[in-house]
Amino acid sequence: MAGVAELLRYRFLFEQMVRRELRQKYQGSLLGLAWYVVNPLVLMGAYYLVFAVALRPGFHHPAYPLFLLVGLTIWIFFSQSLLAASTSLLDQGALIRKARFPRELIPAATVTVQLVTFLVVLVLVAVLTVAVRGTLDAPLVLAPVLLAALAAFVVGLALMVSVLHAYFRDVGPILAAALVPWFFVSPIFFAPADVVHHAWARDALTWVNPVAPFITATRDVLYGGVWPSATTVAYVVIAAAVALAAGLALFRRMAAELAVVV
Amino acid sequence: MRPGEIVLEHASRAFAVRADPGRTLKATLLGRRAHGPEPVQALDDVSLRIAPGETVGIVGRNGAGKTSTLRVLAGIVPLDSGQVDVGGRAVALLELGAGFGRDFSGRENIMLNGALHGLTREEIEGRTEAIVAFSELGRFIDAPVRTYSSGMFVRLGFAIAAHMDADVLLIDEVLAVGDEAFQRKCEERIAQRIAAGATLVLVSHDAALIERTCARAVVLDGGAAVFDGPVADGMGFYHRLMGTRHEA
Repeated sequence: MAGVAELLRYRFLFEQMVRRELRQKYQGSLLGLAWYVVNPLVLMGAYYLVFAVALRPGFHHPAYPLFLLVGLTIWIFFSQSLLAASTSLLDQGALIRKARFPRELIPAATVTVQLVTFLVVLVLVAVLTVAVRGTLDAPLVLAPVLLAALAAFVVGLALMVSVLHAYFRDVGPILAAALVPWFFVSPIFFAPADVVHHAWARDALTWVNPVAPFITATRDVLYGGVWPSATTVAYVVIAAAVALAAGLALFRRMAAELAVVV
Repeated sequence: MRPGEIVLEHASRAFAVRADPGRTLKATLLGRRAHGPEPVQALDDVSLRIAPGETVGIVGRNGAGKTSTLRVLAGIVPLDSGQVDVGGRAVALLELGAGFGRDFSGRENIMLNGALHGLTREEIEGRTEAIVAFSELGRFIDAPVRTYSSGMFVRLGFAIAAHMDADVLLIDEVLAVGDEAFQRKCEERIAQRIAAGATLVLVSHDAALIERTCARAVVLDGGAAVFDGPVADGMGFYHRLMGTRHEA
């Protein structure tokens, strides 16, 4: 079982894995990093057209494109990380069969690669949002805490889906299918508080979906310029801790046979 | 455990023999197992004690459990029952070119392979030139390894494994790919490592190589150790087992 000391011993391996994946990701793609800015922009344009122009919902958020952009950026990080993590252990099968090292490093490196892109895009989105909305205010100090919690939450889930997919090859496709409806119930083009007529639906959209509090809290800070509710912040921190602990526990329980199954 | 010491106690390990090792959730939930042959008992109650600095050749027919033994000693595959203990750093050279990123240069792969064995950047950089020189790859060290021949693969693979300061070297039938001059160089390097106190476990069908390199032989058959002793006796036993006479 990999203790903290062993993980520290392999920090250079982790660095090597991240570098290799970053290079493979951007090598041979014409747009490179620009693609990761273009992707949310295109999505934002489409959703703006559908939700603000065509459907004209009963709620209103000023500078709606920015409202969309903050949620979309988080969602893209969340979903891309889990999709990439699901096949990560199979992709790196040759390394697993070659040497003994903490297998957790593989999905963790995959998420880190996504995190690097996410942070670059989020900084651009945040600067724009804060400038346009005039939200340069005290609540911004919460942003690093929220992002750290989000990263831990995603790493925890990534550990689970990666090791499950290595043993059960339909986990990846099931995840991909689940992410589509999951997107629509996540508060990306709406805020849960917009749901005024059905309290149960509002509560479900706020609390049942574990991604929702991450989006809501980050948007409160960047777009709203207000403090998120204490309950939301507590939810985010606890969800991150639970996901990480459960992810590590499941991964270590199942990792021993990886060299045989990948 | 002293560095270089190896202890296997009543080690057993079986493998399912199926084309696709991954199962689907559906098959699991329905309690259905994929059809296929019975699991193969790769290791069947094997006990082995190897002292630091020993040179052990493992021989046996195909499927006798030789590679499985190495994979267990390398800590890559766990046992079903029994115990395995290896002191210090074990470095395995199992599959030709395994773990090489094909689009990365030889030099980048040295970095990754060193990191896989838990070395730091400084430790790897300190021995990169020695590895490059040993591999005789010259300027090809900066070319992507997908352009390498199989001989170049094995030279780089061995050069890396031989410079990891292993306490235990586990080598599986890969040396045969290099040409004779390189094989001789490998044997010299192995001898150096052994003189420095490292332990060698070598799997090969090359009886002459085993006799030259190893002092002790273990014959595996059907996952069990059927002989364990001096190499000359061991190879005699092996040839009788295989029904062959080998004229050296």
